[in-house]
Amino acid sequence: MNASITRQFGILLGAALILSYSLGPVLWTAIASITPEVRPDPSKPWMSIRHVEYFPAEPTLDNYAHLFENLPFGNYFRNSVIVATGTMIVALLVGSLGAYAFARFRFKGRAPLLATMLMAYMIPSVVLLVPLLVIFRTYGLNNTFYGLILAESTNTAPFVLLLMINYFATLPKELEDAAAVDGASRLQTLFLVVLPMSIPGLVAGGLFAFIATWNNFLFAFLFTTTEATKTLPVIMRLFALGEPAVWGVSASGAMITTLPVALLFLLFQRMMISGLSAGAVKN
Amino acid sequence: MTATPIANETVETTAPFKRRERFDAFPYLLVAPILFLLLAVTFYPALYAVYLALTDAHMIRLARAQFIGLGNFIRIWNDPLFFDSLWRTLRWDVVVVGFELAIALPIALFLNLNFRGRGFVRAAVVVPYIIPPAVAALIWVYMFDGSFGVVNDILVRIGVLEKYHSFLSEPLASFAVTAGAMVWAGQPLMAIILLAGLQAIPAELYEAAKVDGATAWQRFRYITLPQLLPSILFICLLRTIWMSNHIDMIFVMTRGGPGFNNYTEAVYSFMLTQRFEIGYSSAVAVVLAVILMTASAFYVRHLSRSVLAP
Repeated sequence: MNASITRQFGILLGAALILSYSLGPVLWTAIASITPEVRPDPSKPWMSIRHVEYFPAEPTLDNYAHLFENLPFGNYFRNSVIVATGTMIVALLVGSLGAYAFARFRFKGRAPLLATMLMAYMIPSVVLLVPLLVIFRTYGLNNTFYGLILAESTNTAPFVLLLMINYFATLPKELEDAAAVDGASRLQTLFLVVLPMSIPGLVAGGLFAFIATWNNFLFAFLFTTTEATKTLPVIMRLFALGEPAVWGVSASGAMITTLPVALLFLLFQRMMISGLSAGAVKN
Repeated sequence: MTATPIANETVETTAPFKRRERFDAFPYLLVAPILFLLLAVTFYPALYAVYLALTDAHMIRLARAQFIGLGNFIRIWNDPLFFDSLWRTLRWDVVVVGFELAIALPIALFLNLNFRGRGFVRAAVVVPYIIPPAVAALIWVYMFDGSFGVVNDILVRIGVLEKYHSFLSEPLASFAVTAGAMVWAGQPLMAIILLAGLQAIPAELYEAAKVDGATAWQRFRYITLPQLLPSILFICLLRTIWMSNHIDMIFVMTRGGPGFNNYTEAVYSFMLTQRFEIGYSSAVAVVLAVILMTASAFYVRHLSRSVLAP
């Protein structure tokens, strides 16, 4: 009896420690985002005096409104959606086609080809930054969504490839054989039989590709320098530099930038946790 | 890479005359799109980086770049900042990966217990990992802010500090805060992978040990730890490679400063590109890549074996 009470207490204490470590900083940001700003001079809305306030007496959504009314935050959000969605589609398409070849066919050069592609996954982004910048300039891809989507694919396509090879390997081959007997071409079999059966795998791959792209800072910082193409992580850096100098506004920007990935995570929690434990999701 | 296992398999499963059958282009067509994509955005740029590393290229006058042979590598050899950055890379790797393990292992052990609400705690653990790193950087910059940072407030309230400190402008403190942010954002991956490792340990081992009267500590020391060691080594290697490449957190939080205090090799190369010295920057990046690819080759071999083995 005593031992079980000790155990209960231990569990509670452990859970409390872990929760405050993992969620504390996020919670603090959420509180800051609804704390009203103290503006000493109404003619200078960018100046704000701020003190640490744990329980805002008058919570407000003004900071969120400020983001969309006084900054082009809606545009940045849209840019992020375009780039993340575009990368997801490219990575899913080329990744799953390639994966099907590796999973189902024994062809000459299979092993070296796969090793080459995995090596691509391990080439550090630092090496690619400058050459990509120069190449993009040459081909006019700088400050375009196409350029950024191509760059982001370097990380996401090999990951989807790897994930889908593993996924296809778990599918029974009989249905494909049956489709072949019924006279379907191999391309028809792939698109009408295999891919529809692979939706769970494709969802997982797409999810990781979307989130990785949404979160990536470095490529976005280098390849989108115009207002029309900047994505959210680039704006987060400006906020961290103290650009609007209003913490409440920065905090609400941080909350909105996190919102889509947080929602996706909540919806697909189990899938994502098992995907993470399979390892190798580039951060 | 050894290609032997697959070649053998083909010989065993197909009759000899079938092997000389017509060439089948279909798998190559399927591989072509991703191959061309990677050729265009990974391999070509990587080779281009090697070329740039042999020139004195500058972003502003790129067309007039001169081939200078190994000039950049000689410059590296005489560049104290390069070697300081190498040492700081090592410091960054050891501190970040070490603390990630020190935090992730207890979390994984805790999540491996049976209790109500475990699913909720596990989900909460992953949250720092799915937050965009730039957001995590922003949150930590503000938590440690010198005039309204919550950490200053708490430390002053409990009497550890007398007055507010501007942590990010002090050399050692800025390193600690940046590493702290990185650990916070990175440890969930390690916790989840170690948890998967823990769940794969057969329960019989623990039952047998209990029958033999082993204490909880002995069970941890002689069953859990040895069984978990491969997972620990794997994830630590992976994180060390990634952390050596990492730029985001350091660049967003500190720009590598104060001074050169937070320059790792990757950050050094990146800051050189910000100064448009792309020839020298590429040389630094190439040296870093060569060092890391040695470690990566090990990992790639492991991955491609586990994928190709049926």
